[in-house]
Amino acid sequence: MLENELTSQIIDKDAYKTEIAKKYTLFLAQYPEIFSDLIFGSNFDFALYDSLEAYDKESPIDIFNVLRNRNGIEIKPGKAVDSDLELALSVNAVKKLIQTTAKQEYAQLLGTFYDDPDEVQGWIDFILHKRTQTLIDMGYGKFAQTAGILKDDDDIYSM
Amino acid sequence: MAKVQELEIRNKYTGELIDTVPADTPETVKEKIKKVDQNQHLLKEMDFFERAQLLAKFATKLRFNKSQLKDLVVAEGGLPIKYSEWELNIVMNGFKFCDWYYQFLEEKSLTSIEGEQLVKIKYIPHGLAVCISPRNTPISLPLYQLGANYLVGNGAIVKPSTACPLTMLKAYSMMEEIELPALEALDLVIAPGEWAVDEFLQSPLVKTLMTITASHTAKDILVRYGRYLKKTVDKSMGVAMYTQPFKNFFFECAGNDAGIVMDDVNLEKVANWNVMASFTNSGQQCFSMKRIIVHQDIYDEYTELLIKEMEKLKYGDPTDPNVDIGPLGSRRILMMMEVMVEDAKKYNAKIFTGAEKIDPGGDYGLFYKPTLVEIKPELCEDLSKAPFLWREEAFGPVRSITKAKDMKDAIKLANLSNYGMRAVVYTSNLNNIEVFKNQLEAANIYINARPMLVDITVSLGGIKDSAYPAGCKYYPQELVYGKYIYDGTSVNLEKLK
Repeated sequence: MLENELTSQIIDKDAYKTEIAKKYTLFLAQYPEIFSDLIFGSNFDFALYDSLEAYDKESPIDIFNVLRNRNGIEIKPGKAVDSDLELALSVNAVKKLIQTTAKQEYAQLLGTFYDDPDEVQGWIDFILHKRTQTLIDMGYGKFAQTAGILKDDDDIYSM
Repeated sequence: MAKVQELEIRNKYTGELIDTVPADTPETVKEKIKKVDQNQHLLKEMDFFERAQLLAKFATKLRFNKSQLKDLVVAEGGLPIKYSEWELNIVMNGFKFCDWYYQFLEEKSLTSIEGEQLVKIKYIPHGLAVCISPRNTPISLPLYQLGANYLVGNGAIVKPSTACPLTMLKAYSMMEEIELPALEALDLVIAPGEWAVDEFLQSPLVKTLMTITASHTAKDILVRYGRYLKKTVDKSMGVAMYTQPFKNFFFECAGNDAGIVMDDVNLEKVANWNVMASFTNSGQQCFSMKRIIVHQDIYDEYTELLIKEMEKLKYGDPTDPNVDIGPLGSRRILMMMEVMVEDAKKYNAKIFTGAEKIDPGGDYGLFYKPTLVEIKPELCEDLSKAPFLWREEAFGPVRSITKAKDMKDAIKLANLSNYGMRAVVYTSNLNNIEVFKNQLEAANIYINARPMLVDITVSLGGIKDSAYPAGCKYYPQELVYGKYIYDGTSVNLEKLK
């Protein structure tokens, strides 16, 4: 399937606990192609935290799940029973991410929040629920590169 | 009891005092070995995946405190700040995804010729490991040693270099902050190798000694252990019986990596990668492209391009994000670079660029300009008579370049070495690639690869004098032993009742 054919579907739009999560789902729905490297059936949770302490205690203010299906992505509130991983984001990071106007800008900022996490400016992290090798086979390595989380070697170090 | 000494840790560039740390004494080293040994069971109470998750959590802690760690790496290690980012990424990503190593430790069932599955190979941690790490990587290698042992369930003591222990001490304090379970089974020893190695060798509690060091130092450790074993001989039965057991020795040593450039590639691109591969961390890397071997048809053009790239390198204050070359780790390295260049001159070697030092007189702020020296191929044929720069590891910013007639000649030259860590080849000829893969004598072969790969799947190890035991390796795999278990219960129990 070509990237530009991918579609997004947001389920239960009114079921989100927070406005910021709702805005973020609308934002992500613009870029289903970010998820194109994942195999059908992959799904992971986006968990939003208002502090690092809340992250330590595993108590997000809101959480939603993105499922990669045959057509594109399906976003629904709450966490999945058997998600592949959790992408944890600070609310401040999400506020900035949804202000970006292009996919590349979004990926770059997401990468910055991973590389240089800051409690005030914003941060992201992820918790793997499946084995790394399984996730690589599902396309998460490539996804992480497209999403700006894992860097290309040339980006990491160049003289 | 020996008096506790304070070690002064100074900034590699400015010489300013960064901090003082109490050094261990033989007594405290013994106590630490005992404590770690007694607490190893705490690791075994968790399974592999629990330990992997805890290391992943620690990776997050490291990432949130990266700037503090980077500053320490730069200050005490003298590594340029952009390199320190790379150094930290290795370990953060390594810990984050460390469960990847499970494939090396997963229990295996074997099928017999008769089709029965009665045999299992289980992987068991060796027990307490002592790890000695080098000065050139203040965090990535010592933390990788510590993490690999934690992952497989071995208690571990890491001895970082006394020239730069602060980053590891900081990392350890971060483990304390997150209350890493079973931290009592890990510890650091801050002590000079001269006597600390003997303490480690003589302790029966230490099962594995893993070091990342010069090959000659590794051999010296074996000699020391031999001497110690000799002292423990019991002759009461009329024959010599050595009362002390074998230890596992696991050495990662020097590299003298060849990089072959053939005449069918984009020379500008390769020259750019070559500089990165040869001069990262001022060339103070075991896996660094040290012997550059170039096809004769492009030799002059390539040399010119390489010099151009080398002359772009900026050296100076390692805190400057534009600086590529930081200060050298010690006066000894500066001296080695000078000796190697002077020795090459005796062979009428052409010095294309560099060969200048910046030496303020003390032990800090020492630089040697990136240097390229031509070594004629005929000088390499008898290794015992070859220039030092060819036959020994240049652990600094001096590199040799040598002309090869063709692919066969290039491989022959590359193999003319006592070392065999890595080798890299740049060519677009698919037939040549197969020949390189098969004939290059190194444990890790890279074909048309970008340098400085940081992927967790990148292996270490070497052959010849580059590593012991020989071969490419992943640390967790080396820290366990295979246990063969034949369980005939299902087929024989009835007969035995």
